[in-house]
Amino acid sequence: MIQVKDLRFSYGKDKQALQGLDFTVEDGEIFGFLGPNGSGKSTTQKILTGILKGFGGTVSLFGQDIKTIHSREFFQAIGVLFEFPYLYANLSAVDNLNYFASFYPKAQRRVVGEVLELLELKPEAWHKPVASYSKGMRQRVSMARALISNPRLLFLDEPTSGLDPAGAVLFRRIIQQEREKGTTVFLTTHNMMDADLLCHRVALMVGGRLVALDRPKNLKEAQSSHQVVVDYLYQGRRKTKTIAAQALAAGLPFAQDELLSLHSQEPSLEDVFIRYTGRGLS
Amino acid sequence: MGNDFGALFRKDCRMLVTGKFFWMALGFLLLYTAYVNLGYLRFMEMPPYHVYLYDPGGTQTQASELVQLVPSLEALDAALLEDTNGVGLDASTGAVQVVLYPGAERIDRHRVDYALSLLEPQDSRPPQVIGSNTPEQKARKEITCELLFFELAAVGFLGIAAVLFKEKGMGVIRVHAVLPLRKSLFLLSKLAVFLLCDLGFAVLLTLMNLGIPDGGAVLPAVLVQTAMLSLMMALVGLLCALVLKDFRQFTLAYLVIAIFAATPVFLSANTSVKFDWIGYHPFYHIYMGLKNAYFGGRASPADTIGAVVAIMLLFLLVELAFRREMGKEG
Repeated sequence: MIQVKDLRFSYGKDKQALQGLDFTVEDGEIFGFLGPNGSGKSTTQKILTGILKGFGGTVSLFGQDIKTIHSREFFQAIGVLFEFPYLYANLSAVDNLNYFASFYPKAQRRVVGEVLELLELKPEAWHKPVASYSKGMRQRVSMARALISNPRLLFLDEPTSGLDPAGAVLFRRIIQQEREKGTTVFLTTHNMMDADLLCHRVALMVGGRLVALDRPKNLKEAQSSHQVVVDYLYQGRRKTKTIAAQALAAGLPFAQDELLSLHSQEPSLEDVFIRYTGRGLS
Repeated sequence: MGNDFGALFRKDCRMLVTGKFFWMALGFLLLYTAYVNLGYLRFMEMPPYHVYLYDPGGTQTQASELVQLVPSLEALDAALLEDTNGVGLDASTGAVQVVLYPGAERIDRHRVDYALSLLEPQDSRPPQVIGSNTPEQKARKEITCELLFFELAAVGFLGIAAVLFKEKGMGVIRVHAVLPLRKSLFLLSKLAVFLLCDLGFAVLLTLMNLGIPDGGAVLPAVLVQTAMLSLMMALVGLLCALVLKDFRQFTLAYLVIAIFAATPVFLSANTSVKFDWIGYHPFYHIYMGLKNAYFGGRASPADTIGAVVAIMLLFLLVELAFRREMGKEG
């Protein structure tokens, strides 16, 4: 679906934003793109969505070089959720969606009401101006805008930002449903839980370079100490011991009266990122 | 492409409706019309200066009705003190003595000549009248031209910038970067909405203030000039909204463009004040084109070509700024 080879981009003589990226995104994959602010995530997404030109290297989408791709067909095939909910505040959710949908072929469009129902936006809000919506409601309408054209390739920038936990769960479910339909998802996020739960593979980016690219599980395993922490009772006293995970194969290698809990010491995706880049995701 | 343009056009119209732009334009139309008919024309019929005559002997038997008789020298002084632009005539000693508070030297001469001419109005030689406009028609055309120019250059310009600042603030310009449409249509639809609005305004203002026969006669030429000015100002408004950071910065640019740029044009075109450099001022040619249209003159081909080239260049600049805005960070 997406092939990127030696992608380079500079905003000026001394501001090299991307320094030779190489990656591919397969059809129907959810691909996570992680990195701190200023790492080049947005620049990459802008190039992939056809907004930024003048880059070096090659970028192919849908099997065609993005430089020669027919822009109308290209933009019909992609859906983009921006980091902020960009909507006409004076128009209602329905009017916004009808307006943005009107640029796509009728056969491609989804029914506005169905998409709003999918996003669980309360029907009484459908015809009210977006200006009266909460941040979460706006994010739902923005997601509806990205989905209204049934895109084959979905770019999502911080999709769960501004959502309450229930909203975040809903968005993850919708993203999974899109993938099951065959939609490819390019997910840019700071949210490690989103990346961990949703993505088949994640790319870790810092300073315009990819520092790691693999399945979240593999990345975590590669950085794992392979140890477990055991909480147990022995002779009436609570005790804790850290042992090698493999040691558990033959049972607990120490005396105990009651096993209380086992905690894997596998690092989180954020830990992995910090280890790879030496900095957090802020 | 037609469907895309239609969708953009309808959305822009809705933006103007929700922004109460059409109500504002209608309000300005009524305000201008009221000003022309209830204020400006009456003002133009007023004598330039009040003339007060103290003539205890009744020697000035042929004085015009415009001369106001006062009963005493004290009353003459009091009248001039209250109306410092007025001219006093003291005929108490036989010969007429002119009394006035001084102003500019050249104007004072005119005041004196005017006041004395009212004492013997039948002696003034009527000038040869050229042109077919009555004084009222002339006044109506002049003020309608000025008001239309002001509306297009200042009010409409502000309107389009306000709409685009709103869209910029909402971030929706960036959404259009990833929509399957020709990006220039986004700008063209705005230009079309404001052009149609300005043309409609010009038709109504002209017909309401010049009347249907007079207004209809000049309307085709007026609409051509209106279209050029409207497009130019709309493009300048779009450019300002795209390049400038916020509405506060825009108000400064607005002051410069609408006031400092327009004022010398009005002065040069409507008064005896002439600046050597006014020929290089683009607004001057635009304004004179509009004025010529109202008075039946022919538009200069060089000015028309210059305006078309300016519109094309401005459009390219606006498109460049628009593409830059689409690629900006959130």
